[in-house]
Amino acid sequence: MADLDEQAHRLTLKLVYYGPALSGKTTNLVRLHDLLAPELKGEMMVLETKNDRTLFFDLLPLGLSAPSGLLIKLRLFTVPGQVAHDSTRKAVLSGADGVVFVADSQRNQAINNAGSFENLIDNIGRVGQDPATLPLVAQFNKRDLPEILSEQQIMEQWRGTPWPVLFACALQGRGVIETLAELLGRVYQAVDPRLALGKDHGLDQQQFITGLLGGSHGQ
Amino acid sequence: MASNAQDTLPLPAFDRALELRELLAGINTERLAAALRQLLGAPFALCAVNGECLVGEALDTAICRVPLRAELETVGYLLVQQEDDAPAAATLIELLLQGAARYQMASTLHLHAVNDDYARLQAQHSALLESEARYKELAATLEQRVAEQLRTIEHTRLQLYQAEKMAAVGQLAAGVAHEINNPIGFINSNLVTAQSYVSDLAEVVECIAQGAAAADISAVMQRKDLVFVLNDFQKLLTESSSGAQRIAAIVRNLKGFANIDGSDEEVADLNGIVRGVCNIVLREITRHAGLQLQLADGLPATRCRPAHLGQALLNMLLNAGKAITGQGTITVTTALDDGRLRLQIADSGVGISAEVLPRIFDPFFTTADVGSGTGLGLTVSRDIITAHGGDITVHSTPGQGTVFTILLPVRD
Repeated sequence: MADLDEQAHRLTLKLVYYGPALSGKTTNLVRLHDLLAPELKGEMMVLETKNDRTLFFDLLPLGLSAPSGLLIKLRLFTVPGQVAHDSTRKAVLSGADGVVFVADSQRNQAINNAGSFENLIDNIGRVGQDPATLPLVAQFNKRDLPEILSEQQIMEQWRGTPWPVLFACALQGRGVIETLAELLGRVYQAVDPRLALGKDHGLDQQQFITGLLGGSHGQ
Repeated sequence: MASNAQDTLPLPAFDRALELRELLAGINTERLAAALRQLLGAPFALCAVNGECLVGEALDTAICRVPLRAELETVGYLLVQQEDDAPAAATLIELLLQGAARYQMASTLHLHAVNDDYARLQAQHSALLESEARYKELAATLEQRVAEQLRTIEHTRLQLYQAEKMAAVGQLAAGVAHEINNPIGFINSNLVTAQSYVSDLAEVVECIAQGAAAADISAVMQRKDLVFVLNDFQKLLTESSSGAQRIAAIVRNLKGFANIDGSDEEVADLNGIVRGVCNIVLREITRHAGLQLQLADGLPATRCRPAHLGQALLNMLLNAGKAITGQGTITVTTALDDGRLRLQIADSGVGISAEVLPRIFDPFFTTADVGSGTGLGLTVSRDIITAHGGDITVHSTPGQGTVFTILLPVRD
């Protein structure tokens, strides 16, 4: 949950990249680290095992100062996708303000996607949040590969859900910023009624997104 | 789970904001201080954002003050009494803090995951214990439940056997009623005649009492044909008496079938049992079949339940009667066979086909129409013979007839 530290004059928002193993969650963060030019950008913290698989999490910190002087810290986390690490996934998810579900577009990954999404919905409930209100967007990654589900097929499957679907090729950096921008808009709308970012801190939704993405992104 | 809560301390969030003090917690500050002192060649201090000195010596004034950043924020300052090497030293310290942050976040997250896994195992374990307890309870009561079921089955079986007995006895009722009705009919008519004879005699006695002349008395006797009356009176009394004896005999034989369940063992003669049953069953089966008895003389008496053996024989005689569709004979033979009593019931009926033969003793197996038999007649018979330690076998030729052979041990 959005953590407002009045004394330090700091708001920390936590976004979690969730999804099945090897769907490209870490790659999303790596590309964002390369592509984004926000006001503040921290070092990316990568904790991986020897064979490139995330064991704990990855962390990319981004920052923005509101006109009021409030420091808005955005922390992007990834979870380990492997089924066995469910307790770690649950702990990382705890307190999230928004979730990107990174799915693998390949046809043979449909079952893994479904299992992971079901696990996500379960874990959102287990950490005391409501899947109906927690900001969530889905990203179908690896659009550059052959043997993938068509956009039409995917949109067909997700029609009737409340979640927007975006397409990406994270390795080439396509779609990663759009995905984050979409989620940031939803997170702003979710936290603004409580934190009054616009009214008290002079930061509207567009400024919020643009400021965190940096440069011309999110315009 | 209560035990679990005692075992584990509440964990801080793995992604909480870490202060400089926490980031330095895993680092040997004495060696860090010595190394920095040597690098910088001047007094220095590592201070938290609130000014508290954590490493080095508290400095009131400093020539150089470099912020130490972790993630995006300043977590403290490096104060040095010289400025040339301060930025490089601060970078080194930041790298050190980054490693510390990485370690602390990962280790706390790991503890969260381990606790969660443990809690899930505990929950799973208690669910398993619960189901184990359920199975134990089930196993403990299983024996009792089986015994209850057996009691119910036994009770039902007894009820069915009772129904079978009633059905067999019921079949006899019509025949027995006729047997009894016939003598009662002629005894009744004899008594009516006897009443008129008594009034004739009374008239003669009246004449004598009034002192009538011998000629008059003789005339009355002539008119009443007293010679015939006295003669016939005698005859009808004899006839009625034998009728009453017939009824008594039927009732005696029937008593053998009454109170079968309570009947006790006694030493009895097999031929006597056979005769008793045949007397009862005679009318029922001799409508189209002749009944022949070939009973061996001098059979040893045996300890048995006569009422039960009688029922077994009755069932088989009724079956034999049903097997005969046209004219035929039923032959009942008794003999001593290698120290055992042999009772054979042979009929010249339709016989039993090879497919049906192995099943005739099965409970509820019947070739009769639904409702006309319980299918228990031969089952009950076999059970009775077995209970007496005997054997029952059947041999049948379709179209020619069937022979049931019963062998019973002789018991004192």
